[in-house]
Amino acid sequence: MIEGQAITRTFAARRGMLGRRGVRALRGVDFTIPDRGAVSLIGESGCGKTTLGRILCGFEDFDGGDLIVAGQSMAGLKRSQRVPYHRRIQMIHQDPYSALNPTRTIGQVLADPLALRARQLGAGRSWLEQRRTELLGLVGLDPDYVLPRYPHMLSGGMRQRVVIARALTVDPDVLVADEAVSMIDVSLRLGILQLLRELRHTAGVSVLFITHDVATARYVGHGGQLYVIYRGTVVEQGDTDTVIQNPAHPYTQCLLSAIPVLRGIEFPGPERVVPTGPLDERSEPPGCLFEPRCPFAEEDCRAAPPGLARLGGAERHGGLAVPPGQHRGGFRGVVPPGQQLHACLHPARRSVVAVPARPGTT
Amino acid sequence: MAGEAGEATLAGPAAPGAPGPDGGAAVRVRDLTVSFPTPEGPLPAVAGVSLDLARGQITGLVGESGSGKSTLALTLLNAVPPPGRVASGSVIIDDVGDVLALRRPELRQVRGAKIGYVFQASQNSLNPLKPVGKQVLDVGRSHGVRDVRKLLHSARLLIDEMGLDAERVLASYQHELSGGMRQRVGIVLALVLNAHVLILDEPTTALDTLTQASVLEIVRKVHAERHLTTLVISHDMSVIGDLADRMAVMYGGRIVEEGPTAEVLAAPKHPYTRGLLTAMPRITGDVAAARPLPGRVPDLASVPRQGCVFRPRCPLATDVCAAAEPADTVAGQRRFACHVTAGEAG
Repeated sequence: MIEGQAITRTFAARRGMLGRRGVRALRGVDFTIPDRGAVSLIGESGCGKTTLGRILCGFEDFDGGDLIVAGQSMAGLKRSQRVPYHRRIQMIHQDPYSALNPTRTIGQVLADPLALRARQLGAGRSWLEQRRTELLGLVGLDPDYVLPRYPHMLSGGMRQRVVIARALTVDPDVLVADEAVSMIDVSLRLGILQLLRELRHTAGVSVLFITHDVATARYVGHGGQLYVIYRGTVVEQGDTDTVIQNPAHPYTQCLLSAIPVLRGIEFPGPERVVPTGPLDERSEPPGCLFEPRCPFAEEDCRAAPPGLARLGGAERHGGLAVPPGQHRGGFRGVVPPGQQLHACLHPARRSVVAVPARPGTT
Repeated sequence: MAGEAGEATLAGPAAPGAPGPDGGAAVRVRDLTVSFPTPEGPLPAVAGVSLDLARGQITGLVGESGSGKSTLALTLLNAVPPPGRVASGSVIIDDVGDVLALRRPELRQVRGAKIGYVFQASQNSLNPLKPVGKQVLDVGRSHGVRDVRKLLHSARLLIDEMGLDAERVLASYQHELSGGMRQRVGIVLALVLNAHVLILDEPTTALDTLTQASVLEIVRKVHAERHLTTLVISHDMSVIGDLADRMAVMYGGRIVEEGPTAEVLAAPKHPYTRGLLTAMPRITGDVAAARPLPGRVPDLASVPRQGCVFRPRCPLATDVCAAAEPADTVAGQRRFACHVTAGEAG
């Protein structure tokens, strides 16, 4: 299990001397990735979801809070001491065209990390070859076809499968897939998404799926947790389908309303919500961060940032009032199906999701 | 407009029920073949394609990489990248004639002034060294526009229509604009000379869902307000399904299915269209209902030279499909090219 506790990350702004504060990419995010679990992060570009994925993989440091990997706190460790922990978390890159060395065959690409792994395990060459074949089978590739080939001889979908197989060579606990199918041909995307779904069972890994596309998050993250991130904070969290079918936070509702509606087979949701303006990363509202763009904002939304609360329950989580200006305590753990947490003072269910047209009605 | 009656017979029955002034096609592509030289001889990226862009409507063109959709769109400007070459066919555009017969100086006037083109990744295709306003002036200069004030005025009007602050945008360099704003500036540059045909190549690729929704809304608005004839090209069926009045599905250089969007999506006839739809994860309904499309996306060299281009991936393929390329089956406002589903009741 991997746990994030109030993780913060601020990037220094280039013109810091003029008194401009840095960009607060993460403002205290709590999350839990259970073993063999599925967790999806959704939000628009610049919301901090990619930064969170990079922090998990150790590509990026966090400034505050803590990351617990296999029971060990990362905050107290030196960078070099963290390496074996971050090894348990492997990134699937967005672009399979640049993630593989073009001068090396797939066989070589997989042999390098496997050789390291073999040394760790005290295994020999035959183990390496056997494991390589096994991993390619796991990701749905034919080893005889793929092993002698160079990346350019494979389609985008096959390359992404190789990238996934390479990530699995080190026996990770978690795969972080950041927009892992956006560069892949549409007819091949679902195959990769299906693979990510299956790997939870076949390879025993958890999958952290980062995307702005709610439909793919629903597909991969089915049965798992969905976190909706806005400007570095979790604004809604819960079982994936519960949140998607019944969003309570206006921002989640905006995201779901923005999904294209297929003419002829769907009707737009009757209560679609559109943000009142574009994202302004420079604004630092004293209250709810979404308030400047929220069509339902009221006076009290401007007062103090709302904490995560359970929908239907009056109590703020943990019963704590949130001290203004400070990071608030979030929720650690998994929200059970049927329940959701939201950070909105005036949550309301709205039917924003497209409604399937019944056959014959169009 | 001249010769419209004559063209109507060429295009088959005129769209029934379409309003008079908006009926007919503003752009007619006929039997277009564009080929590229390969070690195995010239191979067609676009093979015998005919397509009408109905006047005043948004036509969507869906296809994966290598389907020939971008080559087709560039041919509408007579701008096939070398070594590609138009082997046969014609592209007739209202007020212009056959674009493929034009010479360079005439082409220069047509591009931009009659046909506005927003390029793929146009959010990255602005000049990074010049503010947007200067780029507007460049467009004017290259078309011999004398009245600079009028040009800037129409640019301001367009930027206003896009819901942006005109003075700020004109003074901005591209790095000062967000992805969605750059995409809108791309549309401004395409339309500033009052083009009546607008072509958008992958207008929302690399934009997040919220920005995508706002760009789609802008396209819809500008299209309606300026009475444009619009072609939107995308790999994303949901973008086309949301935006387009009519849609065409391209595979292996052919248009395999075409018709009114709502009809095509509600009852797709071609197995490829069906496969693409089933391969789309949706936010409602059964999650597990989505099924991947088997096989791989063909490129120029691996497209079957005989029979149906979709045959190697088709769940319905029979012996006929290997022998002959399917002809178009026309039913009402729709057409599709499949041997097997041709017999299905319309």
